[in-house]
Amino acid sequence: MATVVGGGNGKGDGRGRTVRTPRAPLPPLPRPITGPELASPPLVVRRREEEETVVTFPHLVWKEFLAGLAAFVFLLAVSIQVNAPLLQRANLAITPNPAKAPWYFVGLQELLERFPPVMAGVAFPSFVIIFMILTPYLDRNPSRRPQDRKVAIGMFTIYLCLAVAFVVIGVFFRSLAFNWDWTMVLGHPGLSSPT
Amino acid sequence: MSAPPKEGNPVRTFVDEVWGSIFRHGLPTTDKVAARTALTNFFLHIHPVRVKKSAIRVSYTLCLGGLSFFLFILLTITGLFLMFYYIPSVDQAYQNIKDLQFVATFGLVIRNMHRWAAHGMVITVWLHMARVFYQGAYKPPRQFNWAIGTLLLLTTLLLSFSGYLLPWDQLAVWAITVGTNMAKYAPLAGPYTRYLLLGGRQVAQGALIRFYVLHVIALPLIGFLLMVVHFWRTRKDGFTGGL
Repeated sequence: MATVVGGGNGKGDGRGRTVRTPRAPLPPLPRPITGPELASPPLVVRRREEEETVVTFPHLVWKEFLAGLAAFVFLLAVSIQVNAPLLQRANLAITPNPAKAPWYFVGLQELLERFPPVMAGVAFPSFVIIFMILTPYLDRNPSRRPQDRKVAIGMFTIYLCLAVAFVVIGVFFRSLAFNWDWTMVLGHPGLSSPT
Repeated sequence: MSAPPKEGNPVRTFVDEVWGSIFRHGLPTTDKVAARTALTNFFLHIHPVRVKKSAIRVSYTLCLGGLSFFLFILLTITGLFLMFYYIPSVDQAYQNIKDLQFVATFGLVIRNMHRWAAHGMVITVWLHMARVFYQGAYKPPRQFNWAIGTLLLLTTLLLSFSGYLLPWDQLAVWAITVGTNMAKYAPLAGPYTRYLLLGGRQVAQGALIRFYVLHVIALPLIGFLLMVVHFWRTRKDGFTGGL
């Protein structure tokens, strides 16, 4: 490595001496592609578009603006049409039936119906959180292509499906005393399940 | 670049000078001007100057991360508005919400937006996580950013959960009762965790003020800090782009 004195700009070291920074050797010229290589192209052929770059302003900023605008208009339309729920004033003496957690935690409530509390309320969620954080360190497969990641994708899809299914069950199929009830969706108001 | 001073109209010259002092470069007519604008603008500087075309395809990102951030901003703005009217007291909170719905100008729409955007953010953050997983975008060198993202998902859930109590209606109190009951099942620490969260043995004034402070100060700050790191790492680790 060259010892660079006085900034190494090749002009001087501040004491009247000329210091020349050695130039880095040029990279070797690419070897011409010969017949056998042409016959068997490399495994991964990158599309040209993947390497092509664009300036983020305006290309990305424009997309973000449009997405934000669309989201805002959509939310405004929903907010004008649908009111946020507001029930009676809180009363700790009256327990509603069923008492449900917010929808994103109702999956945990569903687990509580099926497993001992320590498992459903503590062990499962902790396991999921820790496993999720550790996912990139546990998945040693370097490929990002879906066809090389069948196990990972399969496991994650099962997790997603279970999570969604538990939330859907908790929200739409559990009524009085958190009992199973088809009628909320299928609609037989007179036949709701006994408590 | 700021426009050179023009002879003649002094008002025009002054306006040009002011404009040029704020926006140093013009509209992105060429890549060079666009790059300079992005480099010298604080808000645009969140992005790199250039990015792979495949990395910003809408069909690739589905805009989910950006939408989550947008909803966070929208929630902050609508939340600020709600804070002018809301008093975290069990005697007043419910009436404040009623006033917001029926008395305050645009109060109803703002409250609705806050509520639906909160649900929306839980969904977009969740879908963003799924998108990143399916594209393997958590792989080296982005492992740590995935971990930050997981914490952001948790923060989003807790933000939504803490806000759930604030209207102080039957839905709020009992949802939080059921939710915090889960905490008490943890061996040893469980009952203490619940007591710490609620500031008592049941959902009452202690719980309301704790959830309020968590909702408007603590969790947004934590979320903001995590987001700053998340975006910084996204830039430094590079965008993934086409599979």
